[in-house]
Amino acid sequence: MVEFEKYKWPILTVVIIIVVLMVMIAVGFAIGILSEDPDGLERVLINARGEEWLESLPSPWEPILGWIESDYVAGIVGVFLSIILMCVVFYAIIYLKKK
Amino acid sequence: MHIPDGLLDPVTTVVLWIVTIVVLVFGFKKIRNSFEDEDSEKLIPYIGVLAATIFAFQFVNYPVPGGTSGHLVGGTLVGVILGPWAAVVVIFMILIVQSLFGDGGITAIGANTFNMGIIGGMVGFYIVKLIMMGLNKTNMEKEKKVTIATAIGSYIAIVLAALIAGIEIGIGGAIPMSIAIPAMVFWHLIIGIGEAIISAFIVYFIYKTKPELITTEEILGVS
Repeated sequence: MVEFEKYKWPILTVVIIIVVLMVMIAVGFAIGILSEDPDGLERVLINARGEEWLESLPSPWEPILGWIESDYVAGIVGVFLSIILMCVVFYAIIYLKKK
Repeated sequence: MHIPDGLLDPVTTVVLWIVTIVVLVFGFKKIRNSFEDEDSEKLIPYIGVLAATIFAFQFVNYPVPGGTSGHLVGGTLVGVILGPWAAVVVIFMILIVQSLFGDGGITAIGANTFNMGIIGGMVGFYIVKLIMMGLNKTNMEKEKKVTIATAIGSYIAIVLAALIAGIEIGIGGAIPMSIAIPAMVFWHLIIGIGEAIISAFIVYFIYKTKPELITTEEILGVS
């Protein structure tokens, strides 16, 4: 069995970095330093086909996560899925290394 | 730069997934070798923390003239810090998590890893190495040489990745190639300036605070 206690701090560091930077991003948007404009690829697609077309592209997430209507719930689900995924990756790396 | 779901045609999507998986398999093998060579107890969390930092940095969108925004991609940066193979693995991990947030498509992870990890990271790293060969003939301090090479390398890599993304979109048929390629290159010629500045700043900062974190000096031929 993998000792999670041993890797507690790296995992916590990853989570803390993400949380701190997400707060920084939120503050950055609130005071206007950061931009909500589309990035390079989105700008090219919007200029060529329009914003509605870009938003109507089919997504494989829709059948699975389409029940979520609130942006806040989507954000929380995303954070939880990310943490689970990162823990799985860490577990796999540690497990394979020990093997 | 993150290609969403439904933009590429199935053939391009599958081909880029195959190329990415092949490179990832080699990447994991190379990283496993470095685990045997180095103090891997430190290397594992280091890779994780670097991936988390780049992941968060990619959410920071800075304004670019013309109603556009840019964000750090970080492929070349990770390449310079951890090596070209690790760059692909780290960018792949970041893209999986980002697809959960709707930034880049899940079916397009192969294409996005190809553009940002293989072109942005691996090719970017070798551009940095090429520039280092020229800079090594000068009397500059090594941290300045690596910083300048990282800035130029990451700029070229981001424009190159945009060019490749333009070709992929053109092949997909969403936009004609004659529009997609010049438009992608034009915007990323501007956005790339931010990538170069941020990457160079981070590399210089690491050199000034904890230079041993740059693990590629030998491969880069830093002297």
